[in-house]
Amino acid sequence: MISLRRKKSILAAVAVTSFALVASSVPANAEVGVSADEIKLGITVPMTGIAAPGYNKVAPAMKAYFDYINSNGGVYGRQINLIIKDDRYIPQEAINKTNELILKDEVFALVGQLGTANHLAVASKVRLGARGIPSLYLNTGYSGFADVKKFPTSFMHFPTYAMEAKILASYIKENFGTKKNCLLVQNDDFGADASKGFAAAGLTFAETVKYVSGTQSAATAQAWITKFAGSKCETVTLFSVSSATAAALGVAAAAGYKPQWILGSVGADATTIKISLNNPQAQALLNGAIGASFLPDAQDTKDPYVKLFQQVNKDFNGNVDFDNNVLVGMNSALLTVQALRAAGKNPTRKSLIAAVENKGATFASASYTANGVSKRSHAGHTGYWFGKYNLAGALVPVDAARTIYTTDSGTGPVTKAKSKRAKLPAKGIPTNS
Amino acid sequence: MHKLSTKKAFIAYFLFGWLLLILADRVSELRVYQGATIAITTLAIASIILLTGYTGQVSLGHGAFLAVGAYSAALAQTYWQSPFWFTLLMSILVTAAFGFILGFAAGRLTGPYLAGTTLALAVGLPTLANQFAFLGGETGLVYDAGMPPARFGESFTLYKWFFWIAAFVVLISMFLLRNLLNSRFGRTWKALRANPTAASLCGINVPSSKILAFTISAGVAGLSGALLGMISIVAPSAFPLSLSFTIITGAVLAGVTSLLGSMLGAVVLVVIPEIADVISHQLGDSEKITTNLPGFIVSVLLILTVLFSPNGPAEAIRKRRESHAKH
Repeated sequence: MISLRRKKSILAAVAVTSFALVASSVPANAEVGVSADEIKLGITVPMTGIAAPGYNKVAPAMKAYFDYINSNGGVYGRQINLIIKDDRYIPQEAINKTNELILKDEVFALVGQLGTANHLAVASKVRLGARGIPSLYLNTGYSGFADVKKFPTSFMHFPTYAMEAKILASYIKENFGTKKNCLLVQNDDFGADASKGFAAAGLTFAETVKYVSGTQSAATAQAWITKFAGSKCETVTLFSVSSATAAALGVAAAAGYKPQWILGSVGADATTIKISLNNPQAQALLNGAIGASFLPDAQDTKDPYVKLFQQVNKDFNGNVDFDNNVLVGMNSALLTVQALRAAGKNPTRKSLIAAVENKGATFASASYTANGVSKRSHAGHTGYWFGKYNLAGALVPVDAARTIYTTDSGTGPVTKAKSKRAKLPAKGIPTNS
Repeated sequence: MHKLSTKKAFIAYFLFGWLLLILADRVSELRVYQGATIAITTLAIASIILLTGYTGQVSLGHGAFLAVGAYSAALAQTYWQSPFWFTLLMSILVTAAFGFILGFAAGRLTGPYLAGTTLALAVGLPTLANQFAFLGGETGLVYDAGMPPARFGESFTLYKWFFWIAAFVVLISMFLLRNLLNSRFGRTWKALRANPTAASLCGINVPSSKILAFTISAGVAGLSGALLGMISIVAPSAFPLSLSFTIITGAVLAGVTSLLGSMLGAVVLVVIPEIADVISHQLGDSEKITTNLPGFIVSVLLILTVLFSPNGPAEAIRKRRESHAKH
């Protein structure tokens, strides 16, 4: 009997230990993550790991813009508190960290989540849609996220990869139609979405190399470049993340292989390439490459949005090297502030989602292309302009008029866009409602 | 040491399960989620304890078995639309078959050779998913226990549902394992671990006993893998090499010969990130500290355990109690 009692006490002790930290209390206010003086937002991004170079600047840039807004009174008097978690660009980590944000930190909404595989994993396992948790301005272009039925609470920031691939394909067909064209893509939904777009536009590649996310390095890039050079590829489209693009350009330069590079927007950032290759002059590798972007170039100091964001970067972000990642982060934050304002003085998750669906297409954004969000589609921006990288790593428009091209994520044609860019709010502080 | 009879043990397990369900109703959703993680980790550690603690076969690659179990369950659900309970069964059967095949090789290997073989498996196996489209590549497969039944009400959350499933399956499995280890099979395996030559001279068929242990251990690991897939994802990133090390660390912390200790090991593994979080918050939320501190704490605990209590605290407590009883 004594032994049974002891056994029971051990079991009870284990049970109590298992649940030692009992019952976090539910906030007294009406909505999770919103108090009288604060709105809690959350983001998981690769702050460390193989995809960190460049992408680790997105969340701090968002925080810097929120700090700028906070220093100007916040959103209806509430300070925005962005909680940043490191997911190392690993889907399983993204699930764990998102669970922490939702269950432990009790954030109001997720913002700026980065990575297709990561957000797919999060949306399906954390069940953002079923639980009504908003995930605003995803920094991924997977076209599936535009699907309102599958992802009712997720909203995109980027144009879809399928759109980008179709627009790139039309450019390649028009300018390099007779050349031997080749492609590097990531072996996941990011790459599959792009491949779908290229196929929809009727472009077939002589050689396609797929790499597994997380394996990109100088060693693996050696195999890619050997394959492209061996196949005598005259143009190589790198539809890859920054670290993979950097590895490919670095290895090709060392091998003296010089095709016409065509770069997807995700991996084309001069400062990231410099960091990845640990070479302060590595931006020169981009010289002559063709690229597409929906945002202005980060070095375009005449652009009012870039000008504002560079000032915010100086005042609130330790004046880090201003690049496309910082620009993307701050633009996500600018859109988020407008969404929070549009959700009303007492925002709820439902009112936030309704605000983006109903008013999101009118929000000011650094993008040159229209925002396609509506009740029927949660797509982000909807087009691209083409440029050529110069020696400084800046993307210079191929035509003086900076022609914007648009299309859908399906089989629709690529056309010239007619949309007009929204004006930057005074001092970059939204006053919408 | 006096052991509980099967009937008393059943009552103890039943009461413990009841206690867990009551607790699940009274704690936050985060704790319920952590509870489910503890339950699943407990089962994974138990599979190592069965193999290493009872038969002396060292496996550094049990994460691979978890992956096989999770993929088996997910494939059964994706391509056969099998009911959830059947997918769990599939995870056990397929992984046990996998373990049976591997057991033939394991029967011929000992010590570092066996450890190396299993380690290679853990490194190589999850990456296979990237080679075959039907395995879903890097994104993986969707594996789902479904939403909680409507009769439980709207307040019955998804994570509570996961916890109920995990706790139920794990308690049954642990009860069956306990009985197995107390049976002649358990005694045979203990004899094997103590001295294979002596065991052989006593008439024990050493290779077949080792294969049996490998098969059952793999089946248990496969089941925990399927449960892990239920709360996370079935993709290569869910089964990194570090998962194998985490499980074996939990087993060492718990004491490799104590089935009950597996729960303690699981609690430690889940609670450490919480402690690390508090410390890193005190130190100013540095990204490097937040990322590396849990691993550091686990490593320190592991070293301390090996130095001061090589068979784990549970075993030390048991020995102390036996010593007290003698005096």
